[in-house]
Amino acid sequence: MTEFLRSFATGSLDLLLRVFLIVVPIMVALELFEGTRAFRAVVRWWARIVRHVGLDERSAAPTLIGFLFGLAYGGGVIVRDVRRHDLGRRQVFIMSVFLSMVHAVVEDSLIFLALGASIFWVVVYRIVWAALVTLALTALAAVVLRRRRLRDVRRGD
Amino acid sequence: MAGPDDNIPGAPLPRPREGFGATVRRDLRIGVVAGLQTFWDLTKVMIPAYGITLALEQLGVIGRLANAARPLMEALGLPGDAAVPLVVGYVLNIYAAVGSMQALDLTARQVTVLAVAILIGHNLVVEGAVLHKAGMNGFVFGALRVVAGLAAAIVANQLMGLF
Repeated sequence: MTEFLRSFATGSLDLLLRVFLIVVPIMVALELFEGTRAFRAVVRWWARIVRHVGLDERSAAPTLIGFLFGLAYGGGVIVRDVRRHDLGRRQVFIMSVFLSMVHAVVEDSLIFLALGASIFWVVVYRIVWAALVTLALTALAAVVLRRRRLRDVRRGD
Repeated sequence: MAGPDDNIPGAPLPRPREGFGATVRRDLRIGVVAGLQTFWDLTKVMIPAYGITLALEQLGVIGRLANAARPLMEALGLPGDAAVPLVVGYVLNIYAAVGSMQALDLTARQVTVLAVAILIGHNLVVEGAVLHKAGMNGFVFGALRVVAGLAAAIVANQLMGLF
């Protein structure tokens, strides 16, 4: 038990430190550059790409952060923007599916490339797969929601 | 001062009239506050999730799950022992998974297939907690990542066999 508590304490501190050292600089940088022309150009460029999986311009920045740095950090920006811009549930769903399939492309991919994995399968294939899964699940969710609404209408709710 | 960007959802907060220095100071302050707020949001969900993860590991759940997953490895063209890094990745994280992969003797193709499965599904408890915080169901997304990751690995293995 003491062993458990000791690893929990050191592990938690390690985790918190890592999150702190990444989240606070990302948020500060985001706040500083969010209004600049260059940042908005990058976000608009990214928005043109992620539009194909159903994400709108408001979702582009959180998706880009998650895609590059990781789910926890992207998730943090999502939580912030849900609060600030009232992103719809549909957008949060699409972002969550896409990011849960592919995130932290640089760091996570590099670890496996170092082990000898092929860059095509680890990066390109994974992004294509993420897009396909996102499109499929969004379509599925739309069907489920429509059915549920029809059922509610028939019931007279 | 109403700018053209006002009222557009997702547009940055309106700029104050002050000079560059004041704007930077204001953005720094908002950024630090937003950073600390996000850090606290993540802390609240990540630390309990990390405790659960650690308990799962120390209770030997990883070993049992890996044994259960052994037969599945054949569908991926992997040896049964590859279930260990996969489950370690699911419960813990990518670094732990890579660590336990070192113990195995895998071909480049097998490393790639295993990498695809682990890259899609890993750190499910902690990352599931983050998704939960964003308003999604962490359990459903955990299951989704396991299934979609294995499916992606199976498809990748088959496609690699063709070329």
